[in-house]
Amino acid sequence: MTLLECKDLTKKYGRHTALNNVSLQIDGEHIVGLLGPNGSGKTTLIKLIAGLLSPTAGSVQVLGEPIGPSSKSAISYLPDHTYLNGTMRVQEIIDFFADFYEDFDSLRAYDMMAKLQINPRQKLKTLSKGTQEKVQLILVMSRHAHLYILDEPLAGVDPAARDYILDTILSNYDEDASILISTHIISDIENILDEVIFIKDGSLHTHALVDELREKDHKSIDTIFREVFKC
Amino acid sequence: MLKKLLKYEWKDTYRLLLPINLAIILITLIGCIILNTSIFNSDTGFLLAAPLLILYVLSIITFSCTTLVYIYVRFYKNLYTAEGYLMHTLPVTPTQLFHSKLIVGYFWFFLNSLLTTLSISALSAALGIHEAATSVSGDRQDSLLDSFLLDVGQSPEAFSFADLFGYPLPVFVLLLFAMLLISSFSSVVMGYMSVLLGQRMERNKLAASVAFYFGIYMVIQIITSLSIIIPEIANTGKYMGEELPANFLAESFRLLFPSLIISYLVLNIIFYVVCRLLLKGKVNLD
Repeated sequence: MTLLECKDLTKKYGRHTALNNVSLQIDGEHIVGLLGPNGSGKTTLIKLIAGLLSPTAGSVQVLGEPIGPSSKSAISYLPDHTYLNGTMRVQEIIDFFADFYEDFDSLRAYDMMAKLQINPRQKLKTLSKGTQEKVQLILVMSRHAHLYILDEPLAGVDPAARDYILDTILSNYDEDASILISTHIISDIENILDEVIFIKDGSLHTHALVDELREKDHKSIDTIFREVFKC
Repeated sequence: MLKKLLKYEWKDTYRLLLPINLAIILITLIGCIILNTSIFNSDTGFLLAAPLLILYVLSIITFSCTTLVYIYVRFYKNLYTAEGYLMHTLPVTPTQLFHSKLIVGYFWFFLNSLLTTLSISALSAALGIHEAATSVSGDRQDSLLDSFLLDVGQSPEAFSFADLFGYPLPVFVLLLFAMLLISSFSSVVMGYMSVLLGQRMERNKLAASVAFYFGIYMVIQIITSLSIIIPEIANTGKYMGEELPANFLAESFRLLFPSLIISYLVLNIIFYVVCRLLLKGKVNLD
Protein backbone atom coordinates (compact mmCIF):
# COMPACT_ATOMS: atom_id res chain seq x y z
CA MET A 1 0.00 0.00 0.00
CA THR A 2 1.20 3.51 -0.77
CA LEU A 3 2.47 5.21 2.36
CA LEU A 4 1.71 8.79 1.38
CA GLU A 5 -0.33 10.10 -1.50
CA CYS A 6 -1.00 13.77 -2.25
CA LYS A 7 -3.47 14.50 -5.04
CA ASP A 8 -3.74 17.94 -6.68
CA LEU A 9 -2.85 19.56 -3.38
CA THR A 10 -3.35 23.33 -3.31
CA LYS A 11 -3.09 25.77 -0.43
CA LYS A 12 -3.98 29.42 -0.78
CA TYR A 13 -3.76 32.24 1.77
CA GLY A 14 -6.12 34.86 0.40
CA ARG A 15 -4.75 35.63 -3.07
CA HIS A 16 -1.34 34.10 -2.37
CA THR A 17 -0.87 30.51 -3.52
CA ALA A 18 1.58 28.76 -1.19
CA LEU A 19 1.22 25.35 -2.82
CA ASN A 20 -0.11 24.76 -6.29
CA ASN A 21 -1.60 21.50 -7.51
CA VAL A 22 1.03 19.18 -6.05
CA SER A 23 0.60 15.45 -6.64
CA LEU A 24 3.11 12.93 -5.34
CA GLN A 25 3.40 9.48 -3.89
CA ILE A 26 5.87 8.06 -1.36
CA ASP A 27 6.28 4.36 -0.60
CA GLY A 28 7.84 2.65 2.39
CA GLU A 29 11.55 2.21 3.13
CA HIS A 30 12.66 5.42 1.45
CA ILE A 31 14.52 8.47 2.68
CA VAL A 32 13.10 11.36 0.74
CA GLY A 33 14.62 14.84 0.63
CA LEU A 34 12.10 17.64 0.28
CA LEU A 35 14.29 20.34 -1.19
CA GLY A 36 13.68 23.94 -2.04
CA PRO A 37 14.73 27.43 -1.00
CA ASN A 38 13.05 29.30 1.84
CA GLY A 39 9.45 30.19 1.01
CA SER A 40 9.14 27.58 -1.73
CA GLY A 41 6.27 25.75 0.03
CA LYS A 42 8.10 22.90 1.81
CA THR A 43 6.69 23.67 5.25
CA THR A 44 3.20 24.22 3.82
CA LEU A 45 3.31 20.77 2.20
CA ILE A 46 4.56 19.19 5.43
CA LYS A 47 1.90 20.92 7.55
CA LEU A 48 -0.80 19.72 5.16
CA ILE A 49 0.45 16.14 5.54
CA ALA A 50 0.70 16.49 9.34
CA GLY A 51 -2.85 17.82 9.55
CA LEU A 52 -1.91 21.29 10.79
CA LEU A 53 -3.29 22.97 7.69
CA SER A 54 -6.35 22.17 5.64
CA PRO A 55 -5.97 22.16 1.85
CA THR A 56 -7.81 24.68 -0.29
CA ALA A 57 -8.13 21.88 -2.86
CA GLY A 58 -6.91 18.34 -3.29
CA SER A 59 -6.37 15.57 -0.76
CA VAL A 60 -3.77 13.77 1.34
CA GLN A 61 -3.90 10.11 2.27
CA VAL A 62 -1.59 8.22 4.61
CA LEU A 63 -1.76 4.42 4.31
CA GLY A 64 -4.98 4.90 2.38
CA GLU A 65 -6.66 6.95 5.11
CA PRO A 66 -7.47 10.67 5.02
CA ILE A 67 -5.80 12.94 7.58
CA GLY A 68 -7.15 12.12 11.04
CA PRO A 69 -6.27 10.19 14.19
CA SER A 70 -5.12 7.11 12.23
CA SER A 71 -2.80 9.10 9.91
CA LYS A 72 -1.45 10.96 12.94
CA SER A 73 -0.58 7.74 14.74
CA ALA A 74 1.38 6.67 11.63
CA ILE A 75 3.36 9.92 11.32
CA SER A 76 6.11 11.14 13.63
CA TYR A 77 6.48 14.86 12.96
CA LEU A 78 9.22 17.29 13.90
CA PRO A 79 8.32 20.95 13.29
CA ASP A 80 10.89 23.60 12.38
CA HIS A 81 10.59 25.31 15.79
CA THR A 82 10.26 24.41 19.45
CA TYR A 83 6.70 23.32 20.18
CA LEU A 84 6.73 21.69 23.61
CA ASN A 85 5.42 23.26 26.81
CA GLY A 86 8.55 24.69 28.43
CA THR A 87 7.18 24.29 31.94
CA MET A 88 7.11 20.48 31.62
CA ARG A 89 9.99 18.34 32.83
CA VAL A 90 11.72 16.12 30.28
CA GLN A 91 10.36 12.98 31.97
CA GLU A 92 6.83 14.41 31.92
CA ILE A 93 7.13 14.98 28.18
CA ILE A 94 8.38 11.41 27.70
CA ASP A 95 5.37 10.15 29.71
CA PHE A 96 3.10 12.33 27.57
CA PHE A 97 4.44 10.83 24.33
CA ALA A 98 4.26 7.29 25.78
CA ASP A 99 0.63 7.88 26.79
CA PHE A 100 -0.53 9.08 23.39
CA TYR A 101 1.64 7.15 20.94
CA GLU A 102 1.44 3.37 21.22
CA ASP A 103 4.62 3.08 19.14
CA PHE A 104 6.69 5.28 21.49
CA ASP A 105 9.76 3.61 23.00
CA SER A 106 10.44 5.27 26.39
CA LEU A 107 13.60 3.23 27.00
CA ARG A 108 15.10 4.43 23.74
CA ALA A 109 14.22 8.02 24.64
CA TYR A 110 15.81 7.77 28.12
CA ASP A 111 18.87 6.10 26.63
CA MET A 112 19.39 8.91 24.12
CA MET A 113 18.79 11.55 26.80
CA ALA A 114 21.39 9.88 29.03
CA LYS A 115 23.95 9.89 26.19
CA LEU A 116 23.47 13.65 25.92
CA GLN A 117 23.61 13.98 29.73
CA ILE A 118 20.13 15.52 29.85
CA ASN A 119 18.63 15.22 33.31
CA PRO A 120 15.03 13.96 32.88
CA ARG A 121 13.98 15.98 35.93
CA GLN A 122 14.99 19.25 34.30
CA LYS A 123 12.31 21.57 33.00
CA LEU A 124 12.48 22.06 29.25
CA LYS A 125 12.73 25.85 29.51
CA THR A 126 15.91 25.56 31.59
CA LEU A 127 17.69 23.79 28.71
CA SER A 128 19.52 25.68 25.96
CA LYS A 129 17.70 26.13 22.64
CA GLY A 130 20.01 23.60 20.99
CA THR A 131 19.35 21.01 23.70
CA GLN A 132 15.60 21.62 23.51
CA GLU A 133 15.77 20.90 19.78
CA LYS A 134 17.70 17.70 20.47
CA VAL A 135 15.05 16.64 23.03
CA GLN A 136 12.37 17.17 20.38
CA LEU A 137 14.34 15.13 17.85
CA ILE A 138 14.85 12.33 20.39
CA LEU A 139 11.12 12.22 21.14
CA VAL A 140 10.22 12.09 17.45
CA MET A 141 12.83 9.42 16.65
CA SER A 142 11.82 7.31 19.68
CA ARG A 143 8.64 6.34 17.89
CA HIS A 144 8.30 3.29 15.64
CA ALA A 145 6.33 5.27 13.08
CA HIS A 146 5.56 4.51 9.45
CA LEU A 147 6.57 7.95 8.26
CA TYR A 148 8.95 10.41 9.92
CA ILE A 149 8.46 13.98 8.73
CA LEU A 150 11.32 16.25 9.74
CA ASP A 151 11.00 19.92 8.88
CA GLU A 152 14.41 21.61 8.58
CA PRO A 153 16.13 19.61 11.34
CA LEU A 154 19.53 20.89 10.19
CA ALA A 155 18.73 24.59 9.95
CA GLY A 156 20.75 26.93 12.16
CA VAL A 157 22.86 24.28 13.87
CA ASP A 158 26.66 23.94 13.98
CA PRO A 159 28.40 21.12 12.03
CA ALA A 160 28.91 19.00 15.17
CA ALA A 161 25.22 19.20 16.07
CA ARG A 162 24.38 18.46 12.43
CA ASP A 163 26.36 15.22 12.66
CA TYR A 164 24.57 14.30 15.88
CA ILE A 165 21.15 14.98 14.31
CA LEU A 166 21.87 12.94 11.18
CA ASP A 167 23.31 10.11 13.24
CA THR A 168 20.25 10.13 15.54
CA ILE A 169 17.91 10.02 12.56
CA LEU A 170 19.74 7.25 10.73
CA SER A 171 20.36 5.03 13.72
CA ASN A 172 16.82 5.20 15.10
CA TYR A 173 14.31 5.06 12.27
CA ASP A 174 12.71 1.73 11.51
CA GLU A 175 14.04 0.10 8.36
CA ASP A 176 10.57 -0.42 6.90
CA ALA A 177 9.56 3.18 7.56
CA SER A 178 10.16 6.23 5.36
CA ILE A 179 11.60 9.61 6.18
CA LEU A 180 10.56 12.86 4.55
CA ILE A 181 13.21 15.42 5.44
CA SER A 182 12.99 19.02 4.32
CA THR A 183 16.11 21.13 4.00
CA HIS A 184 17.95 23.58 1.86
CA ILE A 185 21.34 22.30 3.07
CA ILE A 186 21.83 19.53 0.52
CA SER A 187 25.50 18.59 0.82
CA ASP A 188 25.13 17.11 4.31
CA ILE A 189 22.27 14.78 3.48
CA GLU A 190 22.81 14.01 -0.19
CA ASN A 191 24.47 10.69 0.52
CA ILE A 192 21.62 9.34 2.64
CA LEU A 193 18.75 10.20 0.29
CA ASP A 194 16.94 7.67 -1.88
CA GLU A 195 14.58 10.17 -3.50
CA VAL A 196 14.38 13.92 -3.90
CA ILE A 197 11.45 16.25 -4.34
CA PHE A 198 12.20 19.77 -5.57
CA ILE A 199 9.56 22.35 -4.71
CA LYS A 200 9.79 25.61 -6.61
CA ASP A 201 7.41 28.54 -6.09
CA GLY A 202 4.82 26.23 -4.56
CA SER A 203 4.85 23.75 -7.44
CA LEU A 204 6.41 20.32 -7.79
CA HIS A 205 9.49 20.75 -9.99
CA THR A 206 11.13 17.33 -9.74
CA HIS A 207 10.37 14.05 -8.00
CA ALA A 208 12.93 11.39 -8.82
CA LEU A 209 15.21 8.71 -7.43
CA VAL A 210 18.57 10.17 -6.47
CA ASP A 211 20.60 7.59 -8.43
CA GLU A 212 18.55 8.12 -11.59
CA LEU A 213 18.91 11.88 -11.34
CA ARG A 214 22.67 11.67 -10.82
CA GLU A 215 23.11 9.26 -13.72
CA LYS A 216 20.92 11.32 -16.04
CA ASP A 217 22.61 14.66 -15.37
CA HIS A 218 26.05 13.36 -14.28
CA LYS A 219 25.96 15.89 -11.47
CA SER A 220 25.52 15.79 -7.72
CA ILE A 221 22.12 16.63 -6.24
CA ASP A 222 23.70 19.69 -4.65
CA THR A 223 24.81 20.95 -8.08
CA ILE A 224 21.43 20.21 -9.65
CA PHE A 225 19.72 22.03 -6.75
CA ARG A 226 21.93 25.09 -7.25
CA GLU A 227 21.14 25.15 -10.97
CA VAL A 228 17.40 24.71 -10.51
CA PHE A 229 17.13 27.36 -7.80
CA LYS A 230 19.70 29.81 -9.17
CA CYS A 231 18.66 33.38 -8.31
CA MET B 1 -7.97 9.13 24.39
CA LEU B 2 -10.33 11.68 25.98
CA LYS B 3 -9.39 10.31 29.42
CA LYS B 4 -5.70 10.88 28.68
CA LEU B 5 -6.36 14.39 27.41
CA LEU B 6 -8.37 15.13 30.57
CA LYS B 7 -5.53 13.82 32.74
CA TYR B 8 -2.99 16.18 31.19
CA GLU B 9 -5.42 19.08 31.09
CA TRP B 10 -6.04 18.61 34.81
CA LYS B 11 -2.31 18.31 35.57
CA ASP B 12 -1.54 21.51 33.69
CA THR B 13 -4.35 23.61 35.18
CA TYR B 14 -4.45 22.64 38.84
CA ARG B 15 -1.07 24.25 39.61
CA LEU B 16 -2.58 27.73 39.32
CA LEU B 17 -6.29 27.16 39.80
CA LEU B 18 -6.17 25.03 42.95
CA PRO B 19 -4.26 27.71 44.96
CA ILE B 20 -6.73 30.36 43.74
CA ASN B 21 -9.68 28.37 45.05
CA LEU B 22 -7.90 27.59 48.31
CA ALA B 23 -7.26 31.33 48.68
CA ILE B 24 -11.02 32.01 48.41
CA ILE B 25 -11.67 29.51 51.22
CA LEU B 26 -8.88 31.07 53.31
CA ILE B 27 -10.07 34.67 53.00
CA THR B 28 -13.64 33.53 53.77
CA LEU B 29 -12.50 31.81 56.99
CA ILE B 30 -10.47 34.86 58.00
CA GLY B 31 -13.46 37.10 57.20
CA CYS B 32 -15.83 34.97 59.28
CA ILE B 33 -13.40 35.02 62.23
CA ILE B 34 -13.00 38.81 62.01
CA LEU B 35 -16.78 39.33 61.77
CA ASN B 36 -17.32 37.24 64.91
CA THR B 37 -15.09 39.51 66.97
CA SER B 38 -16.12 42.93 68.30
CA ILE B 39 -13.42 44.63 66.27
CA PHE B 40 -15.94 46.75 64.32
CA ASN B 41 -17.96 47.81 67.37
CA SER B 42 -15.52 50.49 68.39
CA ASP B 43 -15.53 54.04 66.91
CA THR B 44 -12.48 53.29 64.79
CA GLY B 45 -13.96 49.97 63.62
CA PHE B 46 -15.55 51.50 60.52
CA LEU B 47 -12.19 52.91 59.42
CA LEU B 48 -10.86 49.35 59.45
CA ALA B 49 -13.99 47.70 57.99
CA ALA B 50 -14.11 49.77 54.78
CA PRO B 51 -10.60 48.92 53.49
CA LEU B 52 -11.05 45.27 54.50
CA LEU B 53 -14.31 45.09 52.60
CA ILE B 54 -12.72 46.71 49.53
CA LEU B 55 -9.78 44.29 49.76
CA TYR B 56 -12.16 41.33 49.98
CA VAL B 57 -14.25 42.44 47.00
CA LEU B 58 -11.15 43.15 44.89
CA SER B 59 -9.66 39.76 45.80
CA ILE B 60 -12.83 37.89 44.86
CA ILE B 61 -13.09 39.75 41.54
CA THR B 62 -9.39 39.15 40.80
CA PHE B 63 -9.64 35.43 41.56
CA SER B 64 -12.70 35.05 39.36
CA CYS B 65 -11.25 37.05 36.44
CA THR B 66 -7.88 35.28 36.68
CA THR B 67 -9.60 31.89 36.55
CA LEU B 68 -11.66 32.77 33.50
CA VAL B 69 -8.85 34.52 31.61
CA TYR B 70 -6.45 31.66 32.38
CA ILE B 71 -8.96 29.12 31.01
CA TYR B 72 -9.37 31.16 27.79
CA VAL B 73 -5.63 31.79 27.36
CA ARG B 74 -4.82 28.14 27.94
CA PHE B 75 -7.35 27.08 25.31
CA TYR B 76 -5.82 29.49 22.79
CA LYS B 77 -2.16 28.87 23.68
CA ASN B 78 -2.38 25.10 23.93
CA LEU B 79 -4.29 24.64 20.67
CA TYR B 80 -3.46 27.58 18.43
CA THR B 81 0.14 28.64 19.10
CA ALA B 82 3.39 26.61 18.97
CA GLU B 83 1.98 24.07 21.46
CA GLY B 84 -0.83 23.43 18.99
CA TYR B 85 1.73 21.69 16.74
CA LEU B 86 1.92 18.96 19.36
CA MET B 87 -1.76 18.86 20.31
CA HIS B 88 -3.04 18.79 16.72
CA THR B 89 -0.63 16.01 15.71
CA LEU B 90 -1.76 13.69 18.52
CA PRO B 91 -3.90 10.76 17.34
CA VAL B 92 -7.11 12.35 18.65
CA THR B 93 -10.03 14.15 17.04
CA PRO B 94 -10.50 17.95 17.27
CA THR B 95 -13.73 17.24 19.17
CA GLN B 96 -11.84 15.26 21.83
CA LEU B 97 -9.37 18.13 22.20
CA PHE B 98 -12.26 20.58 22.58
CA HIS B 99 -14.14 18.43 25.09
CA SER B 100 -11.05 17.94 27.27
CA LYS B 101 -10.61 21.71 27.51
CA LEU B 102 -14.33 22.31 28.00
CA ILE B 103 -14.79 19.75 30.79
CA VAL B 104 -11.75 20.84 32.80
CA GLY B 105 -12.28 24.58 32.18
CA TYR B 106 -15.94 24.26 33.15
CA PHE B 107 -15.08 22.35 36.32
CA TRP B 108 -12.64 25.04 37.46
CA PHE B 109 -14.88 28.00 36.67
CA PHE B 110 -17.92 26.37 38.24
CA LEU B 111 -15.89 25.61 41.38
CA ASN B 112 -14.69 29.21 41.45
CA SER B 113 -18.24 30.57 41.04
CA LEU B 114 -19.58 28.20 43.70
CA LEU B 115 -16.88 29.12 46.21
CA THR B 116 -17.37 32.82 45.51
CA THR B 117 -21.12 32.51 46.14
CA LEU B 118 -20.55 30.44 49.30
CA SER B 119 -17.96 32.96 50.48
CA ILE B 120 -20.34 35.92 50.11
CA SER B 121 -23.16 33.93 51.76
CA ALA B 122 -20.93 32.83 54.66
CA LEU B 123 -19.73 36.37 55.33
CA SER B 124 -23.28 37.76 55.14
CA ALA B 125 -24.49 35.05 57.53
CA ALA B 126 -21.56 35.67 59.90
CA LEU B 127 -22.35 39.40 59.93
CA GLY B 128 -26.08 38.76 60.58
CA ILE B 129 -25.44 36.20 63.32
CA HIS B 130 -22.97 38.53 65.03
CA GLU B 131 -25.44 41.43 64.83
CA ALA B 132 -28.22 39.26 66.28
CA ALA B 133 -25.96 38.00 69.05
CA THR B 134 -25.02 41.50 70.11
CA SER B 135 -28.44 43.19 69.83
CA VAL B 136 -31.08 40.51 70.49
CA SER B 137 -31.57 38.34 73.58
CA GLY B 138 -30.84 34.59 73.43
CA ASP B 139 -34.40 33.18 73.17
CA ARG B 140 -35.51 35.71 70.64
CA GLN B 141 -32.43 34.97 68.53
CA ASP B 142 -33.55 31.34 68.09
CA SER B 143 -37.13 32.34 67.39
CA LEU B 144 -36.10 34.94 64.78
CA LEU B 145 -33.68 32.54 63.11
CA ASP B 146 -36.32 29.77 62.92
CA SER B 147 -38.78 32.25 61.57
CA PHE B 148 -36.36 33.56 58.92
CA LEU B 149 -34.79 30.36 57.70
CA LEU B 150 -37.45 27.72 58.26
CA ASP B 151 -40.57 29.86 58.11
CA VAL B 152 -41.83 28.32 61.41
CA GLY B 153 -42.83 29.89 64.68
CA GLN B 154 -43.70 33.11 62.87
CA SER B 155 -42.57 36.27 64.55
CA PRO B 156 -45.12 38.83 63.35
CA GLU B 157 -42.50 41.58 63.07
CA ALA B 158 -40.00 39.47 61.11
CA PHE B 159 -39.94 38.47 57.43
CA SER B 160 -39.25 34.86 56.57
CA PHE B 161 -36.70 33.94 53.89
CA ALA B 162 -39.53 33.00 51.51
CA ASP B 163 -41.23 36.38 52.12
CA LEU B 164 -38.09 38.15 50.94
CA PHE B 165 -36.69 35.85 48.26
CA GLY B 166 -39.77 34.16 46.86
CA TYR B 167 -38.73 30.61 47.66
CA PRO B 168 -38.08 28.63 50.87
CA LEU B 169 -34.35 28.47 51.61
CA PRO B 170 -33.72 24.91 50.26
CA VAL B 171 -35.48 25.68 46.96
CA PHE B 172 -33.64 28.99 46.66
CA VAL B 173 -30.27 27.25 47.22
CA LEU B 174 -31.15 24.62 44.64
CA LEU B 175 -32.10 27.25 42.06
CA LEU B 176 -28.97 29.25 42.79
CA PHE B 177 -26.89 26.11 42.31
CA ALA B 178 -28.62 25.39 38.99
CA MET B 179 -28.03 28.99 37.95
CA LEU B 180 -24.31 28.71 38.75
CA LEU B 181 -24.04 25.42 36.84
CA ILE B 182 -25.62 26.90 33.75
CA SER B 183 -24.01 30.35 33.75
CA SER B 184 -20.49 28.94 34.40
CA PHE B 185 -20.81 26.73 31.34
CA SER B 186 -21.97 29.71 29.35
CA SER B 187 -18.93 31.81 30.40
CA VAL B 188 -16.42 29.13 29.45
CA VAL B 189 -17.97 28.01 26.17
CA MET B 190 -18.44 31.63 25.06
CA GLY B 191 -14.68 32.26 25.36
CA TYR B 192 -13.85 29.09 23.46
CA MET B 193 -16.33 30.00 20.74
CA SER B 194 -14.67 33.43 20.40
CA VAL B 195 -11.24 31.79 19.98
CA LEU B 196 -12.63 29.37 17.39
CA LEU B 197 -14.29 32.23 15.49
CA GLY B 198 -11.01 34.19 15.58
CA GLN B 199 -9.23 31.20 14.03
CA ARG B 200 -11.47 31.50 10.97
CA MET B 201 -9.92 34.86 10.13
CA GLU B 202 -7.07 35.06 7.61
CA ARG B 203 -4.90 37.21 9.88
CA ASN B 204 -4.92 38.96 13.31
CA LYS B 205 -6.61 35.88 14.74
CA LEU B 206 -6.01 36.77 18.39
CA ALA B 207 -7.31 40.33 18.01
CA ALA B 208 -10.33 38.96 16.15
CA SER B 209 -10.99 36.50 19.00
CA VAL B 210 -10.95 39.34 21.57
CA ALA B 211 -13.28 41.43 19.38
CA PHE B 212 -15.66 38.47 18.96
CA TYR B 213 -15.62 37.92 22.73
CA PHE B 214 -16.63 41.47 23.61
CA GLY B 215 -19.20 41.56 20.80
CA ILE B 216 -20.84 38.33 21.99
CA TYR B 217 -20.58 39.47 25.63
CA MET B 218 -22.54 42.62 24.83
CA VAL B 219 -25.23 40.66 22.98
CA ILE B 220 -25.56 38.28 25.95
CA GLN B 221 -25.86 41.16 28.38
CA ILE B 222 -28.69 42.59 26.29
CA ILE B 223 -30.47 39.23 26.06
CA THR B 224 -30.17 38.43 29.78
CA SER B 225 -31.16 41.98 30.75
CA LEU B 226 -34.26 41.70 28.57
CA SER B 227 -35.07 38.31 30.06
CA ILE B 228 -35.02 39.96 33.48
CA ILE B 229 -36.66 43.26 32.61
CA ILE B 230 -39.60 42.06 30.46
CA PRO B 231 -41.21 39.76 33.09
CA GLU B 232 -40.57 42.40 35.78
CA ILE B 233 -42.27 45.12 33.73
CA ALA B 234 -45.22 42.79 33.12
CA ASN B 235 -45.42 42.06 36.84
CA THR B 236 -45.20 45.73 37.85
CA GLY B 237 -47.89 46.56 35.26
CA LYS B 238 -50.39 44.48 37.22
CA TYR B 239 -50.20 46.99 40.07
CA MET B 240 -50.49 50.12 37.91
CA GLY B 241 -51.99 52.89 40.05
CA GLU B 242 -51.98 50.72 43.16
CA GLU B 243 -49.58 50.43 46.04
CA LEU B 244 -47.06 47.62 45.54
CA PRO B 245 -47.86 44.61 47.76
CA ALA B 246 -45.48 43.53 50.56
CA ASN B 247 -44.50 40.38 48.65
CA PHE B 248 -43.54 42.28 45.48
CA LEU B 249 -39.82 41.52 45.94
CA ALA B 250 -40.57 37.82 46.43
CA GLU B 251 -42.67 37.84 43.25
CA SER B 252 -39.77 39.42 41.38
CA PHE B 253 -37.41 36.67 42.50
CA ARG B 254 -39.95 34.05 41.47
CA LEU B 255 -39.88 35.51 37.94
CA LEU B 256 -36.14 36.12 37.84
CA PHE B 257 -34.79 32.60 38.26
CA PRO B 258 -36.87 30.77 35.63
CA SER B 259 -36.33 33.45 32.98
CA LEU B 260 -32.56 33.61 33.62
CA ILE B 261 -32.16 29.85 33.68
CA ILE B 262 -34.09 29.44 30.42
CA SER B 263 -32.13 32.25 28.70
CA TYR B 264 -28.76 30.78 29.71
CA LEU B 265 -29.83 27.26 28.75
CA VAL B 266 -30.78 28.44 25.25
CA LEU B 267 -27.51 30.40 24.95
CA ASN B 268 -25.49 27.38 26.09
CA ILE B 269 -27.06 25.15 23.47
CA ILE B 270 -26.41 27.76 20.76
CA PHE B 271 -22.77 28.30 21.82
CA TYR B 272 -22.03 24.59 22.02
CA VAL B 273 -23.58 23.84 18.62
CA VAL B 274 -21.63 26.75 17.05
CA CYS B 275 -18.38 25.42 18.59
CA ARG B 276 -19.03 21.93 17.20
CA LEU B 277 -19.73 23.39 13.76
CA LEU B 278 -16.55 25.50 13.90
CA LEU B 279 -14.53 22.43 14.90
CA LYS B 280 -15.78 20.64 11.79
CA GLY B 281 -14.10 23.38 9.77
CA LYS B 282 -10.45 23.59 8.91
CA VAL B 283 -7.43 23.66 11.19
CA ASN B 284 -4.98 26.28 9.99
CA LEU B 285 -2.05 26.81 12.32
CA ASP B 286 0.23 29.69 11.33
